[in-house]
Amino acid sequence: MTDGPLIVQSDKTLLLDIDHPLSTECRRAIAPFAELERSPEHIHTYRLTPLGLWNARAAGHDAEQVIDTLIKYSRYAVPHSILIDVAETMSRYGRLRLEADPVHGLILVTTDTAVLEEVIRARKIAPLLGARIDAETIAVLPSQRGAIKQSLLRLGWPAEDFAGYVDGQAHPIELVQKDWKIRPYQELAAEGFWHGGSGVVVLPCGAGKTIVGAAAMAHAKATTLILVTNTIAARQWREELLKRTTLNEDEIGEYSGSKKEIRPITIATYQVMTKKKNGVYAHLDLFDTHDWGLIIYDEVHLLPAPIFRFTADIQSRRRLGLTATLVREDGMEGEVFSLIGPKRYDVPWKEIESQGYIAPAECIEVRVNLTEGERLLYATAEPENRYRACATTRTKRNVVEALVEKHAGEQVLVIGQYIDQLDELSETLGVPLIKGDTPIKEREILFNKFRTGEITCLVVSKVANFSIDLPDATIAIQVSGAFGSRQEEAQRLGRILRPKADGRTAKFYSVISRDTIDQDFAQNRQRFLAEQGYSYKIIDADDVFQGKI
Amino acid sequence: MRSFSDYLRSIDDAAFLSLFSARPDLVIPVPPDIASLAVRACSAPSLARAIDSLNQWQFQVLEAAGTLTEPFILKSLIALTDKAAAGALEHLISIGLIYPSDDGMRLPTQLRDVIGNEPAGLGPVSIAKLKLAELDNAPTDAMKVLERLIWGPPRGSVGDIKNPGPGVTWLLERKFLVPLDQRTVILPREVAIYLRGGKTHRENLINPPVLAGTKRDERQVNLAAIANISTVLRWVEELLNFWAEEPADALRAGGLGVRDLKIIANHLGVDESCTAFITELAYLTSLISVDSDDRIMPSNKFDIWLMQTPADRWQVLASAWLITSRVSGLVGRAQAKNVAALGPELDRVNASRVRALTLSILSENQSIAPDAPSFIALMNWRAPVRRNSSLQEELAAWTLREAEWLGISGQGAISKYGVGFLNGDDLNLINDDLPKTVDHILIQSDNTAIAPGPLEHEISQQLAIMAEIESRGGATVYRFSEATIRRALDHGKTGDEIKAFLIKTSKTPMPQPLEYLIVDVAKKHGKLRVGNTSSFIRCEDTALIAQIMNDKKLEMLALRRIAPEVVICDHDAADTMRILRESGYLPAAESSNGLMLSGSRKNRALTKPRPPRVIGEIEAPSEDLLNTAIRAIRTGEKSSHKQTRLRQVASEALGALPRTTANETMDLVNRFIQEEKSLSIGYADNNGSVTHRIIDPIRVSAGALIARDHATGEVQSFRIPRITGVAPL
Repeated sequence: MTDGPLIVQSDKTLLLDIDHPLSTECRRAIAPFAELERSPEHIHTYRLTPLGLWNARAAGHDAEQVIDTLIKYSRYAVPHSILIDVAETMSRYGRLRLEADPVHGLILVTTDTAVLEEVIRARKIAPLLGARIDAETIAVLPSQRGAIKQSLLRLGWPAEDFAGYVDGQAHPIELVQKDWKIRPYQELAAEGFWHGGSGVVVLPCGAGKTIVGAAAMAHAKATTLILVTNTIAARQWREELLKRTTLNEDEIGEYSGSKKEIRPITIATYQVMTKKKNGVYAHLDLFDTHDWGLIIYDEVHLLPAPIFRFTADIQSRRRLGLTATLVREDGMEGEVFSLIGPKRYDVPWKEIESQGYIAPAECIEVRVNLTEGERLLYATAEPENRYRACATTRTKRNVVEALVEKHAGEQVLVIGQYIDQLDELSETLGVPLIKGDTPIKEREILFNKFRTGEITCLVVSKVANFSIDLPDATIAIQVSGAFGSRQEEAQRLGRILRPKADGRTAKFYSVISRDTIDQDFAQNRQRFLAEQGYSYKIIDADDVFQGKI
Repeated sequence: MRSFSDYLRSIDDAAFLSLFSARPDLVIPVPPDIASLAVRACSAPSLARAIDSLNQWQFQVLEAAGTLTEPFILKSLIALTDKAAAGALEHLISIGLIYPSDDGMRLPTQLRDVIGNEPAGLGPVSIAKLKLAELDNAPTDAMKVLERLIWGPPRGSVGDIKNPGPGVTWLLERKFLVPLDQRTVILPREVAIYLRGGKTHRENLINPPVLAGTKRDERQVNLAAIANISTVLRWVEELLNFWAEEPADALRAGGLGVRDLKIIANHLGVDESCTAFITELAYLTSLISVDSDDRIMPSNKFDIWLMQTPADRWQVLASAWLITSRVSGLVGRAQAKNVAALGPELDRVNASRVRALTLSILSENQSIAPDAPSFIALMNWRAPVRRNSSLQEELAAWTLREAEWLGISGQGAISKYGVGFLNGDDLNLINDDLPKTVDHILIQSDNTAIAPGPLEHEISQQLAIMAEIESRGGATVYRFSEATIRRALDHGKTGDEIKAFLIKTSKTPMPQPLEYLIVDVAKKHGKLRVGNTSSFIRCEDTALIAQIMNDKKLEMLALRRIAPEVVICDHDAADTMRILRESGYLPAAESSNGLMLSGSRKNRALTKPRPPRVIGEIEAPSEDLLNTAIRAIRTGEKSSHKQTRLRQVASEALGALPRTTANETMDLVNRFIQEEKSLSIGYADNNGSVTHRIIDPIRVSAGALIARDHATGEVQSFRIPRITGVAPL
């Protein structure tokens, strides 16, 4: 028994004691093959998954190294079954290779004919294959490169992809680092992506994912398609690219509901890409008709299903996914990994915070007591209306008022789910409201006023959940949400994580009705952030009224 | 010539000791005298047991001896085998499978029956004189026939004996083949041995095959083993704690259903074969008991077991496993009928023998993790597959797997704990080597608590009630949720107690959300109180009453509100509670005088545990016991010798029918069968009247003496219990 920082559990989780002197060293050693699952304050949880082990193989680590690392840092004896499992899993990688053959095009080659025989007999694989070339080689339909990789992965025989990427149409792009400097983790992320070929970069909200995208483009030096969630986000990408790179206005096009520009760098919204005209996706051609060298998926956790399908067909183009929270309540994380690519870079939120690149934040849950009347209303509500009934109570409005008053002079965002509630709040507080039917132009004006400090408080609906860059917002007050969505909670916190000029701590309030399902949902919503090491403080609404906080 | 019993009378105590150590069934129970000892030693079951203990080479030598006519000498045995046969012969003599008579070596009478009529695939001795040299010039047709029969079985079928092919004809003419019936011919022994080059076996397997495997580092082996030991102790404890909360129902035919097995496998986070192994361990050691309602529950012994040191706890498990005839590997085997864990169908006669053999191979090859094929080869040399041994290879594989689970081995090689256990050493080193227990947990703000090592027992018991285990291993990860806090409250803890316990145990400050969670649940817990007989729901909170009255999920309860704070219902209290809980409420039970019914619960079965009986193997007796047995037999021998003499004197005086004791009868019969002499017996007929017969004994089989009666000239069977006495003519 050593006194290492790592505990290897029999269910393939690794517990890392971060208060241990060797923890940083150990974290670096296990990061290539173990996936970070949770990083709360004392013990971080990593997990050994086949995908993680195969990625490690792809990056040139072998089973022996992995086993040595586990044994070296483990506090207790490593379960033998895990060592065997690691060796077996890793030995499955690389027996099949996808290669580009000058004569036959895309081919599947094996070093182990038995494996090839096994996979070509699989029902899901057979239709993707072409003619058998020899005992070790079989042709693959070029259009099925993504599909076959996905199916092989499911069969447990991942193919190493040596077929390479198309370079796309070259286009010069450089970063311009005049009054700013790329941060070390952004550089690592971009390099990690570039060496891996394709993949997903996970960084906290506000940690500058756009710059990772720009750096990736500077690596690719080719025409790029950027897919974003909405028009506002598209414009922000454009601003950033103009500011950070050698690109000029004419080189960047917007492809959205209102504009259909195709330029060397084209920024398109998911919405327009998935719009159907006469039952067909009219704009998906955009992927195909241009020789893109790089495709960037912003907020990849929101990737809609049709894009998934289409992404499978463009496996020869480099793909970069960006997200802060790769948790999907629909459990589609696996699809993201197999179609966009594996996770290439991931770092705990708290670590970026400690480096000062995102603002420290305090999460506060304010519990309000419902009045007797409200309780009765809640109690008798139909199940489907229950959440709404308790999330939109009148009592909450008073608390929000008190909080806004308390933080007068700071930039405050009030975020909610239900439009009626937001309308009321906007009226009570006397501040403007941005919601789904607010025209883009007006939204931009309001956001700009907020940025300059002309308005200090805004009420926003879920349209502002993502990709809205509001550097000076320091306070967010959440009154209702999409039930128990963990990533929404994280994204909303993300709106206030841009580092403040004066190093101020951001405050994230959730106003919750006590003893209702509002409280249960809040618990689920908070899980992701709690696992990232944010600890919630619970206070009573009365404390707010009495100014005790 | 000397009989086997004469031989036994001639040997010294040391020889007895080695005989009895090798064949403990001879002294359990202790026989009254040497005659009865000889009878037992020559009985088919005892001989079969003794043969089972032989290795491949010893068995080859025994087979070779079986092909010789008695009496034989060592030289002819060596001629058939190898010089090394001398050593094997010595062993065969020491365990009484061959004995030296005054005229040469002989076999106990029934031994030939036990090893079969065709030892080493050889046919009977030829009656005719054979010119074996002619075989060297046998025509090709004849050679083809011979090639098929030479290595046995020696019988072959021909289309029609009257119209054989040219090869068979050539052989029949020279008596190199003997017709058995219309369609069968047999190859005489001499012919086969001649063609085998004067040997009985193709290859003399004198030396055991070398065990191949991976060399392991001793330190790593012991580390892995100690991890396995702590794991298996944890598994057993968790299994029983689980059954204390939710007893499993035994199947009507006995045993544990597949569904229950799966539930436990899921709970423990192991596969089903491992689960079957753990449940069987608990069963073997009486830690579980089936109560009168057929529920499987921990017994009182579990509490005693828990109080022991880890080393003692482990020893209890390992010892029971070592000797059991039950084979948990049979549970859920692919392509086989489903056999239930804890059920009645798991006993296999050779299980503990194979287990002991497997472990002894492991301990003879320390720091080697054997490769399976090589292990099986060595195993089959040490214990050649014979009757009842169809499972031998699987049994060996299961034993290796189970030894790893138990920590007798680590990384496939035997550990120092395993060696110590097999040698019967003090196992306290397990207590020293197990990771030190920790007395604290780390609570984190995501509502998890981590015990960074094995927790002290008291703490882990408490935590198991308050939190769900999320991950197991060297450390344990617990998760708190509303449901787990409620469970703790149901066990009679108050919110403050839970909080105080966690604050005391945690090294890190208690995160506020957890504190709130506990307070919230405690505040709500018991707000709803449910009665038992005429079930009612009482709540001071009218809004909550309104809520449940309006809850569509509770419609099935048919609630009626009888007062602003009380609702009654027709279902019994348990159902009501369940449905309420399922709908997200937090009710508590209430007694007739209005007190909340909750208290610490530890379910234990009331019935006495009945561990399974060990069948098949006889445990090796201690040396003391063997010495006592030898003394007892010698004393018995003296007195029965005297009695026989007295009876003989009396019968000679009276001229009556011969009278001998049952054991003397068998002894004499065995002797006369060998000497092929006629004898006179007294035989009782169906009416009990005793007649005098003169017979030529042929053999003993199934409790009867087969003999030719001189009066009728026919071969008939005489039932041995009816033989009143035997005397030579």
